[in-house]
Amino acid sequence: MTKEEALGKKPLQILEKIKENLERLNEKMEVMIELQKHGRKDVLPLQDAPLDVMTLLSMPDHLRKTAMTLCRLGRATAEEVAEQTSRARAVESAYLNQLVIMGYLKKERKGRKAYFYADRENQR
Amino acid sequence: MGKIIAVHSYKGGTGKTLLSVNLAATFAKHGKKVCLFDLDFRAPSLFTILKVDDIECWFNDYLNGTCEIDKVLTDLSNRLQENGKFYVGLANPATEAIRDMSSKDRKWEMRALGRLLALRNALLNDKEFDYIILDTSPGLQYSSINAIVAADLVVVATTFDRSDVDGTRRMLQELYNLFEKKTAIVLNKVLDSSAKSKKEEMQSKVKSVYQAPLLGVISCFCDVLRAEGNIIFVQDKPEHPFTKILGEMANRIDANDIR
Repeated sequence: MTKEEALGKKPLQILEKIKENLERLNEKMEVMIELQKHGRKDVLPLQDAPLDVMTLLSMPDHLRKTAMTLCRLGRATAEEVAEQTSRARAVESAYLNQLVIMGYLKKERKGRKAYFYADRENQR
Repeated sequence: MGKIIAVHSYKGGTGKTLLSVNLAATFAKHGKKVCLFDLDFRAPSLFTILKVDDIECWFNDYLNGTCEIDKVLTDLSNRLQENGKFYVGLANPATEAIRDMSSKDRKWEMRALGRLLALRNALLNDKEFDYIILDTSPGLQYSSINAIVAADLVVVATTFDRSDVDGTRRMLQELYNLFEKKTAIVLNKVLDSSAKSKKEEMQSKVKSVYQAPLLGVISCFCDVLRAEGNIIFVQDKPEHPFTKILGEMANRIDANDIR
């Protein structure tokens, strides 16, 4: 790689990094907006709360739809959930992140993508 | 891609097991590859009805995570004269097992839901089953709600008994609708159902009471009672009206003709 090429790549990498950070920031904003919208009082900061059927039943309709879809898919991105529910990706991203905050779901990053899943086997 | 069907009801004794066994057998008679699971862990009955020996693993063991699904399946295809495949997975009828299953906590039930959901991949995708039929416990039991969540279609067996009608209606509104489940009603033990006018009357009654489609109407057949649960009815009595009704139901499910 020549010096010029290396120099040309660097700004690109920086831009990618900035974009990635902006996306994460955006996700966090979505969660905050979501929490605000539905009132913080019904969001319990639980760790490893079981996502069982009775919990699904007691959820508000908008979250149940997201949680049910993820149950069916097993492991999915906000985009994949949005495809199933016909709601916007940003909406699903907010709901999924809210379910993570509530302790029902786990989130794992693989490169630029964030995967959500219910960690059934490791719950004790 | 195959389908998971849960057979459920509000009250006991509505004919869930009769319907499950005979619907599964009917699909197999139509050449399908079918698996029937007993999820009525409080009162297991398929073990007795189907008289299966040499059980390697129970369905309880699969849900407990102590054995793979392959070991739970028993091939009963030789009981049928046709080309279909008929497998069963049975609930353990031992009192200790029943006690064990009724004392599970929420986390266990959540894992059990995960294992039920995993059947879609393991059986419908990998082993190319056409239908998985889940025979459940009546009412709002954990295991039954798990089955409903895992299912593509819930077949609800109901009678004209007043408390059954009321309970079933509530269950449809407050349980199935919340899960956005496709539901079909089977009216069982109906008196004088043969007249055409009566059929139409029942169809509109079901629509207005339950707001769900009617899949079939089964008359109160003394022959079914007389069999005392000793036979797979649709197999042993191929010309009986009961067998014909089950055949029509299976065809409608197969053609996705449930409105």
